[in-house]
Amino acid sequence: MDFGTLAFLIPTLPVIAFVLTLAFGNKLQSRAGYISIVAIALSFLISVLIFLQIYPHGTVEQSAHWFSVLNVGIFIDPLAIVMLLMVTFVSLLIHIYALGYMSHDPGKTRYFAETALFTAAMLGVILADNILQFFIAWELVGLCSYLLIGFWFRKPSAAAAAKKAFLTTRVGDVLFLAGIVILYFNMYTHVLPEVGGHGTVYLLQFKTIFEHLTLIPTDQLTIITLLFFGGAVGKSGQFPLHVWLPDAMEGPTTVSALIHAATMVTAGVYLVARTFPMFIAAPESLIIVALIGGFTALFASTMGLVMNDIKRVLAFSTISQLGYMMMGLGVGAIIGAEAVGFAMFHLINHAFFKACLFLCAGSVIHAVGTNDLREMGGLFGKMKITATTMLFSSLALAGIGIPVSIGAIKLGTSGFVSKDAIILEGAYSYLHFGGAYGSLIFFFGVAAALLTSIYTFRLWFMAFTGKPRQERHAHESPLSMTVPLMILAVLALVFGALTFSPFIHYLETTYENEFFEEIDPNGYIHGLAERGGYHIPEEPIVHLDLAHDTLIMMLPVIAGLLGFIISWAIYHKRLFSVASIGNMRNPLFRILAKRYYQHEIFIELISLKFTYGVLALTGEFIDRKIVDGIIDGISSFIIGGAEVLKKIQTGVVQNYATATVLGVALIALVLSWGVI
Amino acid sequence: MLPVSYYLIVSAIVFCIGIYGVMTLRSGIMIMMCVELMLNAANINLIAFASHFNQVNGHVFVLFSIALAAAEAAIGFAILMSIFRSKENVNIDNINILRW
Amino acid sequence: MDSVLSLILFIPLIGAALTLFTKTRESARMIALIGSAVPLIFTVMIYLQFDSTKAFLVFQSVEKFSWISNLGINYYLGVDGVSMPLILLNAILCPLTVIYAWGENKQPNQFFALLLVLQAGVFGVFMALDFFLFYIFWELTLIPLYFLISIWGGPNKDYAAIKFFIYTHVASLVMLLGIFALYFSTGVNTFEIPVLLEAFAGITSPEMRVAIFLALFFGFLVKMPTVPFHTWLPDAHVEAPTAGSVLLAGVLLKMGGYGLFRVLLPMIEGLGPYRSDIITLMAVLAVVSILYATFLALAQKDLKKMVAYSSVAHMGYVMLGAAAFNFMSVSGAMFQQFSHGLITAVLFMSVGVIQHSVHTRIISDLGGLADRMPKLAFLMMAGFMASLGLPAMSGFVAEFLVLTGSYLTLPVFALLAMLGIVATAGYHLWAMQRAMFGSYNEKLGEPHDLAFYEMIPMAILVLLIILFGVYPGPVMDVFEYASKIIPGVM
Repeated sequence: MDFGTLAFLIPTLPVIAFVLTLAFGNKLQSRAGYISIVAIALSFLISVLIFLQIYPHGTVEQSAHWFSVLNVGIFIDPLAIVMLLMVTFVSLLIHIYALGYMSHDPGKTRYFAETALFTAAMLGVILADNILQFFIAWELVGLCSYLLIGFWFRKPSAAAAAKKAFLTTRVGDVLFLAGIVILYFNMYTHVLPEVGGHGTVYLLQFKTIFEHLTLIPTDQLTIITLLFFGGAVGKSGQFPLHVWLPDAMEGPTTVSALIHAATMVTAGVYLVARTFPMFIAAPESLIIVALIGGFTALFASTMGLVMNDIKRVLAFSTISQLGYMMMGLGVGAIIGAEAVGFAMFHLINHAFFKACLFLCAGSVIHAVGTNDLREMGGLFGKMKITATTMLFSSLALAGIGIPVSIGAIKLGTSGFVSKDAIILEGAYSYLHFGGAYGSLIFFFGVAAALLTSIYTFRLWFMAFTGKPRQERHAHESPLSMTVPLMILAVLALVFGALTFSPFIHYLETTYENEFFEEIDPNGYIHGLAERGGYHIPEEPIVHLDLAHDTLIMMLPVIAGLLGFIISWAIYHKRLFSVASIGNMRNPLFRILAKRYYQHEIFIELISLKFTYGVLALTGEFIDRKIVDGIIDGISSFIIGGAEVLKKIQTGVVQNYATATVLGVALIALVLSWGVI
Repeated sequence: MLPVSYYLIVSAIVFCIGIYGVMTLRSGIMIMMCVELMLNAANINLIAFASHFNQVNGHVFVLFSIALAAAEAAIGFAILMSIFRSKENVNIDNINILRW
Repeated sequence: MDSVLSLILFIPLIGAALTLFTKTRESARMIALIGSAVPLIFTVMIYLQFDSTKAFLVFQSVEKFSWISNLGINYYLGVDGVSMPLILLNAILCPLTVIYAWGENKQPNQFFALLLVLQAGVFGVFMALDFFLFYIFWELTLIPLYFLISIWGGPNKDYAAIKFFIYTHVASLVMLLGIFALYFSTGVNTFEIPVLLEAFAGITSPEMRVAIFLALFFGFLVKMPTVPFHTWLPDAHVEAPTAGSVLLAGVLLKMGGYGLFRVLLPMIEGLGPYRSDIITLMAVLAVVSILYATFLALAQKDLKKMVAYSSVAHMGYVMLGAAAFNFMSVSGAMFQQFSHGLITAVLFMSVGVIQHSVHTRIISDLGGLADRMPKLAFLMMAGFMASLGLPAMSGFVAEFLVLTGSYLTLPVFALLAMLGIVATAGYHLWAMQRAMFGSYNEKLGEPHDLAFYEMIPMAILVLLIILFGVYPGPVMDVFEYASKIIPGVM
């Protein structure tokens, strides 16, 4: 049986679950979640079957006419299938966890309906075979995030956070849409004459774009890819559109886990990976991707250091890790298509450990009833499973490991394996071969690794060690919540180590297969890179040797361990107090705690003061006083004129008679003038 | 036989007296009488031309006009009577309610 | 069924007459429902038989009788690809509006009769192929709406009704001048639209052609409406009863856009040396409408006024698509008309329900309505999302085609128009947040959620919006063929 024909079911099943849950959810009550879980489990199953069928090199392609010049279709290649597997799997675990976590919430049918739709939209993004369909699903992801972040809509802060998330990502979406429009223009003017007429090809299909990429002028490609990246910046929370992500914590913790691990934020990274050939054919674009990504990685981790809300710390860590992924893609300017493999590998690993971290945080919040780290402490004894799984995933997030590999297996947590690959094989190779801003990018990577380690262990030590700082009796969560935690924690520990090389090799075939060889037999990506002005060396990845490059190789490890030691010293042993520097009198601390005054800049200055205060209110004034004022002015001029003229109507008959006589006399005079 | 212009001059004088009266007088009754004067001036014209051209049309019109003048006087004085009942005078400066 | 168009046209009028003479509310609304729903059956019938491949200026279901023969005026009806979907829109929207107004208490027989007259007038505009007949129906639509506003309207109804009437009437008079100028300067001695359009390019003086074009343009411009001739619309909407607002925004504004496609676009090639100036003028007006109205919507305190300004902005896309003058943008603009008719109806119905149940529309006075009115919250959210251009809903299809098409010929204007998208999302979400979310404002009393008769039309509309967003084919194909045949369209 050809499982590819079932591919359309992957997003459809959760949509059906959405409709069914909405329709019958109130009757099912606590069992409503099972519909979504079964649907997503089936989607996962189909994904696995398709994976087994197409591995190691095969694709699934389906396409049908939609309307006008557009099509709908499904495209599964190595890049898509690994995303599919990850999203369905992680989403499934989060749904199972939510059965327990949301069991007391009165709105749980709405919750499960919306998360099913959320998953469906994300699966739609992954499966899209053309950029417009991608965009449509991408926007639906945004809608679902809006609904879910604002799930507790009675809380004003949740409603505000939902709006902020939607609007901020919308800024990126508009850029993305502009990119699509400009791309269509270029396809229409440069490619359409080449392929001949409408109806035979769909100009926005990925394969059509990739096939005729060389026909599009490179300056146009730069504009298009930067606009696409703008969309990715919005969705993936890169600087400067990352502001929505920390606020997105207002939703239930499981929603945060979905957003941060499986769906939504990874969509931006996936977009860049999906359109990687366009990026590498465009001068400067990838360098900007790398710079923004690296900067975001460092920038977000500085704020993670001082947050006291357990979920906010994790939110900043997500932003920072997404920065790593973007950086990993950006260094593709030198290392070529391998970059996609590194970034995607980190994406998958991140999904495991971040989902685990969030679910652990949820478990903790569930138990102690607060988000504030300062009110936690000493939970280790009471919540052994949660504490242990959280420790495992924290080790993964901090990237603890040994830079040695036994055969194909790297020794270290999955976070270590993938981050190490991005920093050393990616950023260092980039630096080594003289990529633009190479040292800066490498510095971003290493510095962010240090800070990541510090805030990760700060979180763990503050929550689980020390003296309990509150009275409430904490207890371990039920099995439906802890089992997903354990599965994810194990994956966070070993997935990276076990699958590193097969994964990278498999993803390489995304852009190195018969289809691309036909377009350019000398190497498709290499050919495009030359158009983009990048020079991919013969052996683009520097293979470091522990004996010779000890310092370089040890740098990420040292950063990770150093962070651990600093956190251990401050937050566990309390060797010295942070109160002397960690207070609002310290300008550095204040700027971090205030999150670089982003709220003040984005919300108060740009949205309220400028857009509302200046643009909207000025417009309102102009409209009322000038545009409408002219209309009212005309009518009041006419009315006023009538007011004056009507005084002639005195009501005294004699005046009328006089006027008549004078008029007759005047006419007689005028007439006789001619006679005389 | 006097030339027709003599009659016309008389008629014009009477007509002007009538107009002057209508324009200047305040009493409604006097205005009515002046209107009668104007009508009669027109009647003189009609008769004069009728005898000048030796046709009866003019005479017929004059009869019409006299009848109309009588009807008009009847209605006019009736209106004035009712005004007098409500306002105790017929000074037309007080009768200006039909205005803006 | 040779006279099916006349049936569609006159059944609402007969229904109106019957409704007027009913004694009870129950019989009035029942007759009104029948009178407005029967045309829908006929419309669907001719839609199914409609041959979309010969779509533009090739008319189907034609009826023609000589009326005032020495002036060349005919009773001449017919449909083509431009008008057919709009007739369908009108046929869908009017019965739904009647159902929505099921609970009307104040002189229901007159109320429903006016709704039916309005429906007939709009049908007439979309069907008439004779300029004289077109103008009669065009003016006929003013009268029922004037009375709807001035009898069933809000506190400032007299000002709004008179402003609406005089403003749009002055515009139609300018249009009438244009029609006469066209009639006399072509000298064809007929008012038939297709003949006049063909004869237009034969007018010798190019200045005369531009003058005729601008006179007609002005008439359509005010109706759409386009900034700076839009100020009658917010005032009319704020005062109008909900049913009146739904039809005003849902179908009456579409007459302006329809005139653009029916009359002006086929003329563009005949403008000679002034062609590019006119196109630029249209594009500037379109972009100004989009951006200006969007920011104004952001500033509104009254929910209904906000929706009214959003209508102005959305109709700007129609103008932009028409100005860009290629088949993608033009078919997108036509689809925008159709889609906006459905979407704005949901929005006005939602606002009407809020007004009805908590007696205020001021956004800052509302709050947390979703808590007490979950059904309304759901449908209103769907409407707002459609209005802000969420994909998989019909508005996105239209806006994407307009923007993509416009970029082919008017890149700068297309990019400028895109700047409005974020602000569009902004005011929708802002209003949603403040009106529906947060904790419930107890001062509003105990509101009732949607009544059954209010929910049915809104739910049908939302389903249609999603249906045409996911599968726009049935309507889109008609528009696409139609727009490809307009002379000069690339």
